[in-house]
Amino acid sequence: MESKKGYSKPGEFKPMDLLACAAAREVKDGEIVFAGTGLPMLAIMVAQHTQAPTAVCIYESGSIDGRPIDLPTSVADARCSYQAAVADGLTDVFGQLQSGKVDLAYLGGAEVDLYGNVNCTFMGGPTGKRLTGSGGNSDIHSLAKRSVLIMPQLGQKRRFVERVSYITSPGWKIPHWPDKEWVPKQQVYGPAFNGGPAAVISDMGVYRFDEQGEMYLDTVHPGFTPEECRENCSFELNIARCQGETLTPTYEELDLLYQVIDPEGIIMK
Amino acid sequence: MARPKVVSLTEAIGQINDGDMLTFGGFTVWRRPMAAIYELIRQKKRNLHLVEVNGGTHDDMLVGAGCVGIWESSWCGHELYGKFGSNLARRIEKGEILYEDWAHIHILNRLTAGAKGLPFLPTYSAMGCDMLNPENDNLGKAGLRNGSNPHIGKHKYMMYKEPFTDSEIVLVPAANPDWCITHVQMAGNEGTVRVEGLKFSDQEVIKASKHNIIITEQIVPEEYLRREPTRNMLPGYLVDYIVELPWGAHPTGLYGVHEPDGEFIADFFKATRTQEGFDQWAEEWIFGVKDFQEYLNKLGISRLESLRANPALGYSSTMKRGSR
Repeated sequence: MESKKGYSKPGEFKPMDLLACAAAREVKDGEIVFAGTGLPMLAIMVAQHTQAPTAVCIYESGSIDGRPIDLPTSVADARCSYQAAVADGLTDVFGQLQSGKVDLAYLGGAEVDLYGNVNCTFMGGPTGKRLTGSGGNSDIHSLAKRSVLIMPQLGQKRRFVERVSYITSPGWKIPHWPDKEWVPKQQVYGPAFNGGPAAVISDMGVYRFDEQGEMYLDTVHPGFTPEECRENCSFELNIARCQGETLTPTYEELDLLYQVIDPEGIIMK
Repeated sequence: MARPKVVSLTEAIGQINDGDMLTFGGFTVWRRPMAAIYELIRQKKRNLHLVEVNGGTHDDMLVGAGCVGIWESSWCGHELYGKFGSNLARRIEKGEILYEDWAHIHILNRLTAGAKGLPFLPTYSAMGCDMLNPENDNLGKAGLRNGSNPHIGKHKYMMYKEPFTDSEIVLVPAANPDWCITHVQMAGNEGTVRVEGLKFSDQEVIKASKHNIIITEQIVPEEYLRREPTRNMLPGYLVDYIVELPWGAHPTGLYGVHEPDGEFIADFFKATRTQEGFDQWAEEWIFGVKDFQEYLNKLGISRLESLRANPALGYSSTMKRGSR
């Protein structure tokens, strides 16, 4: 019998499991976390069951620090409010976000670029394919101290690009409107600057941002090489800083995902 | 009027004119006034101007039915039941609808300014993003920022150097819809409104609007709601019309009462991949039934019962949701 804290071996976990667990490890104990629907919910819940028992989860619909006993399927799901400290509304939680109270946010997107700018509005710009639009994506990326983006990548290099075709959410370098000059985010946000994208977690690796705000490969998931990660980007990805392989899910984390957090098989099918 | 009128759904929706600006209570696929959406479509409203904190199944239906001239919001989709609003996406891609994209805080602030009687509110959100790119000011490009429409500001937004700390901030103009339609769990016979569960942005959008229609699961004696005023959301004088219509939020969810009907929404999303698909769907579920009662009969009691919430939890404890 393997120890619960031991790391699973290739073949004992699915790509989705690694995504959820790598994302969960971004949370530090005591942090205030904004999470969206799907994998982000699993990630914060895994973190709360492991290294971050006092982390607080806020959903943008207005529930704060819920203790769901059944997995919610949207941020406004009645399950989010179960045993919550507060269940009010958007003005409350977006106000808290804007005033700098959110440490970490998890989000998704259709396209991400070298600077961590995110697109979930139009693939190919305003004449392209229409998606959902921002929702809270732009607000949360604008105003959280750190944001973590969870994205599919393998075989989808058009999602990892030098410049997104529409900036829904700001990364480390953005245009200053209305003069269009590309400048560091801090210069645009001034006193409202709280931080920016900390990591992009894909099904191939974990990416972070350097001193210039440019994406680099931090760890590569088992089964892939840094070169394969670069080949699955549409820009020249920096792989020189790669530290090695991403830690696989522990047996405890796998047990949490399938037996405790999503026993119904809603996301962890 | 200090007290709302209790009317039929047909009568309430009949007050809304073509070209009016509308907003709705609720959030994505939760607590949306769906019976009112079906009735707006049945009454063939045209050229509506939607301004919504976020959209969902309801606004994609209105768009698919050709009721909407201008869509302004931060989002349109069906949560896990459908990736995006296909009707809206198709009309945007074909240039058949005018739209403005906003961040969530932008549009929330627009309605909050409206609710507070202010001309604008500031926010730091989404600076450097393409919804603020002057090239994406679609109403401006259509020549509609000329002051002729009271619902369309002279500017989409303004960057402003605020005078207290000299920071740059985004000013977004107030929105004051002609109508807000909200589904709630309970209204008193004098119009006091109680919402159970999350309030989302209901108080802001209701107070921003000139007229309000409340669709309620139940009308209860005022005395019952006034025993616990801290649980109530609105006084009756803010409400113009009350319609009593149980299950009126189906297929969206209603906290403590019923789940969203995910299968129904997923089927709708599949149908809406083409305009013909939407038209057939609307023929079956909107035009093919006389009214909301007939719609409920068509759904059948066992389908509705399968969505019913457990009162201790606020959601269903028996519904099959996943693969296990």
